[in-house]
Amino acid sequence: MSSVPNENWAIIENMIKKEGIASHHLNSYNEFLDHGIQDIIDEVGGIDVETTGTPYRVSFGKIFIGEPRSVELDGSTSRILPLETRLRDLAYSAPIHLEMTVEENGIARETQKHHIGDIPIMIRSAKCETSKMAEKQMIEKGEDPLDPGGYFIVNGSERIIVGLEDLSPNKIIVEKDKVGGNIVHRSKIYSSIVGYRAKLELTLKADGAIMVKLPSSPVDLPIVTLIRALGIENDREIASLISNQNQVHNLLEITFEKAVLDRDTHCNVCKVCGLRILEKAKDQTQEEFDKENPDYENCGHDEVCGKLGDCSHKALMYIGNRVAHGMLDEFRIRKAESILDWGLLPHLGKERENRYDKAIFIGEAVCKLLELRMNWINQDDKDHYGNKIVKFAGPMIADLFRTAFRNLIRDMKYQLERTSHRKGSNIVGASIRPGIITDKLANAVATGNWGRGKVGVTQLLDRTNYLSLLSHLRRIQSPLSRTQPNFEARDLHSTHYGRICPSETPEGANCGLVKNIALSSVISVSSSFEDIIDKLTQIGIVPSRDISMEDRSRFCKIFVDGRLIGYTKDENKLVTSFRNMRRQGQIHSHASINLQKYPNKNASTRIHVSLSSGRVLRPLIVVSNGQPLVNHDVVSRTQNGELSWQDLIHMGVVDLLDANEEENALVAIDGTTEFSNEHTHVELFSSSILGAAASLIPYAEHNQSPRNTYQSAMSKQSLGFPTPNYNYNTTVREHLLVYPQNQLVKTRATSLLNIDKRPTGQNCVVAVMSYEGYNIEDAIVMNKSSVQRGLARSFFYRLYDAEAKQYLGGMKDNFEIPKSDENTRGYRGEKYYRLLESDGIIMHESVVSGGDVIIGRTSPPRFMEEYKAFDMTGPYRRDTSIAVRPSEFGVVDSVFMTQNEDGEKLYKIRVRDMRIPEIGDKFASRHGQKGIVGLLVNQEDMPYTESGIVPDIIINPHAFPSRMTVGQFIESIGGKAASFRGTPVDGSTFAGENADDLGNKLKEYGFESSGSEIMYDGKTGKKLKVEIFIGIVYYQKLHHMVADKMHARARGQVQMLTKQPTEGRARGGGLRFGEMERDCLIAYGASMVLKDRLLDESDKTNVNVCDHCGLLAYYDGQQRKYTCKIDGEDAQISSVTIAYAFKLLLQEMMSLNIAPRLLLEDKV
Amino acid sequence: MATIKILESSDSHVKLLLKGIDRVYANALRRFAISEVPCMAVDEIVIHENSSVLYDEILAHRLGLIPLTTDLEGYILPEDCSCKTSLGCTKCRVLLVLDAVATDEVKTIYSGDLVSEDTRVKPHLDNIPIVKLAPTQKIKLEAYAKLGKGRNHAKWQPATVSTLTDTDNASEFHLTIESNGSLPAKEILLQATNILNTKLKNMTETIKESA
Repeated sequence: MSSVPNENWAIIENMIKKEGIASHHLNSYNEFLDHGIQDIIDEVGGIDVETTGTPYRVSFGKIFIGEPRSVELDGSTSRILPLETRLRDLAYSAPIHLEMTVEENGIARETQKHHIGDIPIMIRSAKCETSKMAEKQMIEKGEDPLDPGGYFIVNGSERIIVGLEDLSPNKIIVEKDKVGGNIVHRSKIYSSIVGYRAKLELTLKADGAIMVKLPSSPVDLPIVTLIRALGIENDREIASLISNQNQVHNLLEITFEKAVLDRDTHCNVCKVCGLRILEKAKDQTQEEFDKENPDYENCGHDEVCGKLGDCSHKALMYIGNRVAHGMLDEFRIRKAESILDWGLLPHLGKERENRYDKAIFIGEAVCKLLELRMNWINQDDKDHYGNKIVKFAGPMIADLFRTAFRNLIRDMKYQLERTSHRKGSNIVGASIRPGIITDKLANAVATGNWGRGKVGVTQLLDRTNYLSLLSHLRRIQSPLSRTQPNFEARDLHSTHYGRICPSETPEGANCGLVKNIALSSVISVSSSFEDIIDKLTQIGIVPSRDISMEDRSRFCKIFVDGRLIGYTKDENKLVTSFRNMRRQGQIHSHASINLQKYPNKNASTRIHVSLSSGRVLRPLIVVSNGQPLVNHDVVSRTQNGELSWQDLIHMGVVDLLDANEEENALVAIDGTTEFSNEHTHVELFSSSILGAAASLIPYAEHNQSPRNTYQSAMSKQSLGFPTPNYNYNTTVREHLLVYPQNQLVKTRATSLLNIDKRPTGQNCVVAVMSYEGYNIEDAIVMNKSSVQRGLARSFFYRLYDAEAKQYLGGMKDNFEIPKSDENTRGYRGEKYYRLLESDGIIMHESVVSGGDVIIGRTSPPRFMEEYKAFDMTGPYRRDTSIAVRPSEFGVVDSVFMTQNEDGEKLYKIRVRDMRIPEIGDKFASRHGQKGIVGLLVNQEDMPYTESGIVPDIIINPHAFPSRMTVGQFIESIGGKAASFRGTPVDGSTFAGENADDLGNKLKEYGFESSGSEIMYDGKTGKKLKVEIFIGIVYYQKLHHMVADKMHARARGQVQMLTKQPTEGRARGGGLRFGEMERDCLIAYGASMVLKDRLLDESDKTNVNVCDHCGLLAYYDGQQRKYTCKIDGEDAQISSVTIAYAFKLLLQEMMSLNIAPRLLLEDKV
Repeated sequence: MATIKILESSDSHVKLLLKGIDRVYANALRRFAISEVPCMAVDEIVIHENSSVLYDEILAHRLGLIPLTTDLEGYILPEDCSCKTSLGCTKCRVLLVLDAVATDEVKTIYSGDLVSEDTRVKPHLDNIPIVKLAPTQKIKLEAYAKLGKGRNHAKWQPATVSTLTDTDNASEFHLTIESNGSLPAKEILLQATNILNTKLKNMTETIKESA
C-alpha cells in the first residue's frame, strides 16, 4: 500500500522537532568537544623540554571542558546563563583543563590538571547549562525556550559561525583545464585532518609528463620520483599501482622518462624484472664497484641489476635538494622525509609505515587522471553536492584551537626551557598562559577573523524576527569570490534537490553563493573508520596489500573516506549488503556508499564509502520490490509519537542519502507513482525541499519563481515578536510588533518552525483596486481608522551603553551630571542634562529626544603633562556623556546597571519609540509584493462591501499581471474562507488546500467563489462599476520606516578639513548636489544657481593673494599688515574668493614643491 | 414622496429602506454615523503605577478603544465647553478609575474593572481584556473619558458598520448602521440626521449672510 504523500509530513515534523532547527550547529560543535579537541591534543602529545641538565617530557592526557562561568575581578567564579552574559558584555565560555604528566627518562612523575584557557560555549550545546533545563525552568531564568541556540556570545554580542561550503576532503577530483590553448588534466586532493589541510595537485602536462605539486615544495616533481621516494622502487610495481591497463601504461612512459632524465635519480631499470640497473662509472674498476654496491645481483636478464633501497634514497635526495637546497646531506634527507610524512596526504597518517598507503593513494590519483585523459571517465563536477561538505562550528573552531594550542605549546616550551633548573608540576602550571587560547578564540569569534586571510567567518546573529534568526542559523556560505562570475557555482544544481532551498538566496553579488539548507536536509556527523573496515571485511573484501596483479585491474576498488582499502569482485553484492547492514542499524545511518560505474569498460569501477561529517543528507522512503516501506500505519504511529524518525531509520524504512549515494538511487516523486522494481526510494514530502523562509510562503508553487526569492529575503526584514524576553534584551536595535497575529493561511512549516508562536505580521482585509492614484507604482492605501485601532503598530528600541573605565594612574570615569562651574571640557549646556538624576543617569519612562543626555559621564583629561607645562587652569575633566541620537525620540524603557568583566560599572539604557504607520512606511505581503504607504484614508472615505467590510489596505491591480504572484490571490481567497469557517487554511507548497475548494467554501458562506464582491465608493455612496477582488492577506511591516530615513537641511555642520557640509543623516548632513545635477545647470546656463550651490552654500573662502607672485599671502596680526613671504610687506595683496577645497589643493601642491600661482586681473 | 421603512431594529443594529431620498443625503447620514456623531471614549490618562508588561502607551491605546456607553445629554464636547482645561470639567469629562493588582496568580484585567464616577458612562461590555497581570504586578490609573468625533480618532466612531447599498429599485436604498455599544443604533441615526440638519442650516445662513 502506498502512503498518502501529505501524511508523510509527520516524519519531517518529528525530525525537526526532535533535532531542533539548529541541530547541524549543535552536532558539529558537540562532536568537536567530544573528541575533536582531544584529537588535537593527542596529535601534539606532549612537550619535550630540552635542557642542559636532564631533559624531561611533559605529556598530555585527557582534556576536560568545564561549565560556562564568569570570572570576577577578585578571581571568584560563578556559573552564568546566556541572559546574564549578554547583559554584562561577557563571554559565554568554559575553562579547558588538560592533564599533564611530567616524565623523566620515560618514567611518569606526577600528573596534574591544568587550566589552559577558555573556550566559547555554543548556546544550547551539550556544555550549555540551558540544554539540561526543562522549559519551565528556562522561563524562570528568563531564557527563551524556543531559542534554537547554535551561536556564541562573546563580549555580550551574539555571533554565529555561518556554515562554510567546502570541497570534500580526501577525495580525488579530476578535471580538464585549458592553459594557453593546451588542455591540461589535473587531479586534486584536499587532504585534511582535524584543523589541518594540505592540497596535493597532480598535473598531466601538455608534454605528457605527470608532475606533482607538493604543499611545501617550490617546484613540481615528476610523479614517479615521488612514488619512489615513498619507498616503491620497482618500476613495474609503480606502474601496477597505477593501473594494469596497457593504454594507461603507454601514457605513463613519458613520466617515467622524466624521472629518469634527472641525473640525481638516474635509474635505469631492467625491462623484465623492473629492478634498477647499476652502471659502473667510467673510471671505476669492477672491485671498486663491488665494494660500493655489496648487495647487487644479476637478475639474469642480460643486465646487471641492483638491490632495492638505493633508488628510493636518490629520489628522497632529489626532493631534499629542492626543498632544502645547500644544506647538509643528512638534513636534506630529513627534510624530504618530513615533507612526505607530515605534508603529503596527512589524512593517511604521519608515520613512516603510512608511506606505502600514500603511494597507493597517489597511484589511484594518477590512474583516475589518466582514465580522464583517455576519456574513459568524465571530469568530476565540482558543483555536485557529493563533492562538497559544509563546515559548521566544529571544524572551524578546531582549526582555530589547533593554532592556539600550538602557540601555547611553543610558549610553554620556551618558558620551561628558560627555567630548566626547576622541574615538576608547579613549574608546568606556572608556564601556562591561558590567555593565549582564551584571547585567540574569543577574538576570532568576536571579529570573524580566522587568520590566514579568512575574514567574516562569524556574523552578528540576525534577530530582526524569529524567522530571520532561523534562516540565519541555516545559512551556508560559499568561499568563492563574490567579485568573480563563477556562473556554474551560482546555479541551482540537481543535487541541491531536498538539500538546499531553491528559492532562498540573496540577489546581487552573493546570488547563489549564499544558500540555505532545506527543511529536509540533515548534516552528517562522522562515524568510526575502524568499524566500517570491520564491517566491510565481514562482507568480504580483498585488502589492497593482498591483491594480485591481475585482480587489481579487474576488481572494483573500494575507498573509505578517500582511502583505498581494498577490492571486491562483486561490487553490486557489496553495495547491497552494506545498505542492508545500515538499514539493520549495524552501520551508522549517516555512512554512505556510492558505486561509480562508467559506460566505458576500461574505466575502473569504484565504490566510495563516506563517513565524514558535513555531508548534506536527505531522508527518503525506501522502496523495496516496488513497495514503499512507509505505509499509513507507520506514519500514524509516528504522528502519535509511538515512533520517532530515528526509529524509522533503524527500522530500515527511511534512508539518509548523500548526493553521491543518491546517484545510485531511482527516486519516485511521490506515493502516487507507479512503482517498478527499479525504484529504490520515494520522496518523503514534496515541500520539504524548501528552506525555512520559502516554506512559509503560502501557495508558493503558484508564484513566479523569483517572487519567492524576493519574499524569502523580505520576510527577514519584517517586524514581529522575536523573543518573549525582549524586556531583558540588550540588542543595539530591535523592533517589536505590538499586535502580532497568527496567519490565517499558514503552511505546515508555520507551526513546525514555531512561527505561530513568534508571528511576523497581521491579517489584513485587502482590496485590489485603484484609489485616487495614491497606490500607483506599488504604493498602498491604508485605512487610517485601522491604523488608529492599532494596525501595524510597532516599537523600536535603541540601546545606549556606557562604562566607567579605569585608567592607568588611578583615574577613572565618573557617572555624574557634568557641572558648568567645573570648567568641564565639552559641556553641552544645562538643558541637555535636565533629565538626569543625581547619579548621572536618566530615570526610566522619561521622554527624550535627539541630543538629550541619558548617561552623564566625565572622563579624566587625555594628556596630563600638557597641562603641567602651561598650568593655566589646571587639568579639567572631559564630558563624555551619552546622548540620544539626533533625529530620534522615545521613552526611556529600561535602565540596566551592572558590572563588566573588569569590574567596571556598566550602564545599558534602552529607549523605545512607538511607531504608528505613516505615509512612507514599507509593507509587504508574503509573495514578494512590497510597497510603501501612499495615503492614509479615513474609514468613511474607504470603499465598503455590501456587508459593511472596509479594507485595511488597497493595493493596485497593476501589481499582478507582470509579476504573476497568483499565490497571493489564492491566499486572499483562503484567508477569507478561513475567517468564515473558523480554522486556518493550509497553504503548504504542493500540498495545500485546493484553491477550487476554497472558492466553493466561499460560496457556502454566500460569497462569490472568485473572491470578488460588489463595493461602494465611500465618498459618494455609489456602487463601483466593477466588482472588487477583496480578501484577507497576511501583511508584514518591514523595518524600513520613514521615521528612520527622512532628512532635510537648510544650514548645519561642516567638515573640519574641507569646510564643506557633512554627509549623512546622523551628522545632519547636506543633500549632495552631485555631478549630474551640476551638468543640468551647466546645460541650462544657470551660472548663478551653479555658483550658489557649489561655492556660496558650500566652502566659500576668501584668501589673500599677492598680485605680483600669485602665491598665497597672509595678514600679519601683530603688525596689522598684509604680507607676502616672497614680495615682502609692501606687496600688493588682493582678496580672492575661492572654494576652500581649492585652497587646500594649492597648499598641498606647495608641499610637493610646486608653486601654483594665481594670475589676478581686475574685475571689470 | 420620500418614505423610510425600518426593516430591522435593535439596540445594536438598524436597517432602513429609504425611498425617494437622494443618495447624497443618505450617504451623508452614513458618513456622519462614522465620523460626526460624538461618543465617549477614554482620551487622557494619568498613570500612577504600571508595573505590567504593557507599556503606558499601549495601555492608554487599549483603554481608548473600549466602547463606553454615552450620555449625549449629560456631556458636551470639550471644544464646546467653557472650562478650556486640558483634563476638562464635570461637564465635559468622566473619570474612570482602574486600580488592579495580581496577588499570587496571573490575573486578567477586564474593562469591567474600570470604575466610573458616572454610572451612565461605563464600558459597554465588561469582558474586554485590557492586560494580564503577573503576580505582584499592579496598575493604578485615572482615565478621563471625553466626547469626541470619529473623524479625529477611530475610538470615537459609534458605528462599526455603516453602509448605504443599492436595492433592485433604483430609487431605493438600504441604510444599515451597527453600533459598537456606545449609543443605540437608532440614536446614532437620529444624531446623524440632526448633525446634517444643523450643517445644512448653518450653510443656508452662511450663504444668506454673504449674499
